[in-house]
Amino acid sequence: MKKIAFLVLFFGLSAVAQKKLPDVSLFDLEGKKVSVKDDFLEKDKIYIFSFWATWCSPCINELDEMNDLQEEWKKSLNIEIVAVATDDSRTQKRVKPLVKGKDWNYKIILDTNQDLKRALSIANIPYTVVVKNGVIVHIQNGYVPGSEVELFEKLKSL
Amino acid sequence: MKIKIIAFLLFSSIAFSQKFGVVSGGFESNSQWYLNDKGLKDEFNNPTTHPDQPLRSNSYLFLNYKYKKWSAGIQGESYEDNALLNMNPKYQGINVGTYFVQYKSNTIDVTGGYFYEQFGSGLLFRSWEDRALGINNALRGGRIVYKPTTYLTMKALCGNQRTGFDVTKSTIFGFDAEVTLSEILKYKETELSLGFSYLGRDEKTAIENPKFASLTNGYSGRLNLNNQSFYVSTEFDYKSKDAVVQVTDQIDNNLIKPGSALLLNSGYSKKRFGINGTFRRIENMSFFSERAAKGNSYNDRIMNFIPSLTKQQHYNLANIYVYQAQPNVILADKDLVKAGEIGGQIDVFYEVKKGTKFGGKNGMKIAANFSNWNALSGTFYLYNPQDYKTDFFGFGKRYFTDFNVEITKKWNAKWQSIFSYVNQYYNKKMIQETTGEVKSNILTAETTYRFASTRSIRVVGEHLWADHDKKNWVAATIEFNINSKISFYSTDLYNYGNDTDYLRNHYYSFGGSYRVKATRVALNYGRQRGGLVCVGGVCRYVPESSGLSMTISTSF
Repeated sequence: MKKIAFLVLFFGLSAVAQKKLPDVSLFDLEGKKVSVKDDFLEKDKIYIFSFWATWCSPCINELDEMNDLQEEWKKSLNIEIVAVATDDSRTQKRVKPLVKGKDWNYKIILDTNQDLKRALSIANIPYTVVVKNGVIVHIQNGYVPGSEVELFEKLKSL
Repeated sequence: MKIKIIAFLLFSSIAFSQKFGVVSGGFESNSQWYLNDKGLKDEFNNPTTHPDQPLRSNSYLFLNYKYKKWSAGIQGESYEDNALLNMNPKYQGINVGTYFVQYKSNTIDVTGGYFYEQFGSGLLFRSWEDRALGINNALRGGRIVYKPTTYLTMKALCGNQRTGFDVTKSTIFGFDAEVTLSEILKYKETELSLGFSYLGRDEKTAIENPKFASLTNGYSGRLNLNNQSFYVSTEFDYKSKDAVVQVTDQIDNNLIKPGSALLLNSGYSKKRFGINGTFRRIENMSFFSERAAKGNSYNDRIMNFIPSLTKQQHYNLANIYVYQAQPNVILADKDLVKAGEIGGQIDVFYEVKKGTKFGGKNGMKIAANFSNWNALSGTFYLYNPQDYKTDFFGFGKRYFTDFNVEITKKWNAKWQSIFSYVNQYYNKKMIQETTGEVKSNILTAETTYRFASTRSIRVVGEHLWADHDKKNWVAATIEFNINSKISFYSTDLYNYGNDTDYLRNHYYSFGGSYRVKATRVALNYGRQRGGLVCVGGVCRYVPESSGLSMTISTSF
């Protein structure tokens, strides 16, 4: 009975949508403060928030692939990819050398105590949140080789 | 009764939110059906039997309501018929886990209820949630974050720490300030910040004539400097004198010692190259919201975060000998004395340029890591009374060494391979307080082949050579991604080199996952050895078990 109540509540709630980015401020790789709510609001620009960690190999594969493709994507769409490192202080210091070593051309933000990941109820990474005009318009959960092609098709339809 | 209250709150918030504000949240459920397994023997040749309640499920429903500058949230948790094996038994039944109300503007952020927080690197204070590990050490109380200008952030908090569905009797209060000096000094290319923290724990003791104060004080200072390609950061933490707890629940009124930690990190990076080095020294730095909780196996009532600074390996066999940070004091016998750890690690990342001899058309990526950790050296007194005096820069017995290198090579648009080599030394006697030392070498090769747009196959082969303990292992994984939504996998870890014939176990498992938008459902069957497992592009830490498991997660 209790479980049914849980489920009813849950499905009732999922009907209520139009989710915005939470009001969380984090640091970028250079130590500058970034407001997730206020700093990604350029009109009609598509922001792709890719949640990853230095120990998550599918996440790294996804970001490697997108890094090679993003220049091509930018020719037809106004996009920006933001790589949100969910590394806690165990592995957070590996983020910068990894990003530079791989020559990733992304805005990186550090979600060290997982405030943003938690606010978006993300259970597993990789997890990609697409935002346009401050509203979450698409979510991609997990990554398999080729997911980036599907994502690009989706971005074109937004 | 409690469930009715939750239901009422939820429905009223939904009804309300359709006009005002937004409701969001998430649901996650991890279920296990534990089975008997005659083929999986323990060290006494007994088959694996399921626990009394074989069907167990940990479920979490989080709801957040936001209206203008206000937000409120509640997390309901259910552990039925019981929490998953190896989880804190205090998690039982259905109840409200956390709740909060928050007001947040650009300058002030006030929270009442349960909240998560971290000061600096977390060596002095961190409260967080990790559902896979069963950690939720949120504080219940109040917190104010005040940002009078862009270069100053001040935080003050007070509360009791969550333990199971209850809170501890001790009181925690803290303060943290961070100043961005580079902004005041108008540096253009350099970021420079300073931070200071205080954390107090007030816990009355039942011990008669205690030789320690009920209030334990923790102080911390930190500095971060970032100049384009070069950066350096440091943190020093000090914990005031307090009774040492060598074994959980045994407060030692005759060994009263302070604790400390020093963390130093520096790195340099440029295009296609990055290097980072970390040094850390820790002495008697475990910090729990109740003294007696130190060393409990569920991380219950833990107040600070002392991660092991080694590479977090992602292959199965590289997760058998995993180092755990050693912040504790143990004065057991002359060969087993610990007061902390000293050591460090170096990471190097390098990309061989595309179009060169080694790089080829698609380039080649190299990552190398070295870490080494020793006990603190010093003078240790085992009897009448116990005591110790450590050297500041002295290396005692070695705990752990890990050298590893990983090469990623993309051959063309369809093929990619990763090769890795790991060399480890694991002092089981010192780390686990048992016996033995293990030297191991691990070789791994994996390759991914992409058939069509999102159809691919990934094959991984691993071998571990070890000179002691469970000796040699071999492992293989095949993962098949039908499309971006459906994946299947099958894996087997075989401990063929074990000296004891009935322990030459196969740890096989197979399963699949289905993902659509924010929802993921996964079903697995088999034996789980424990560690970090990645399937269909998703990674998580799982404890050892045998049986059927199901995971559902979604957000809305």
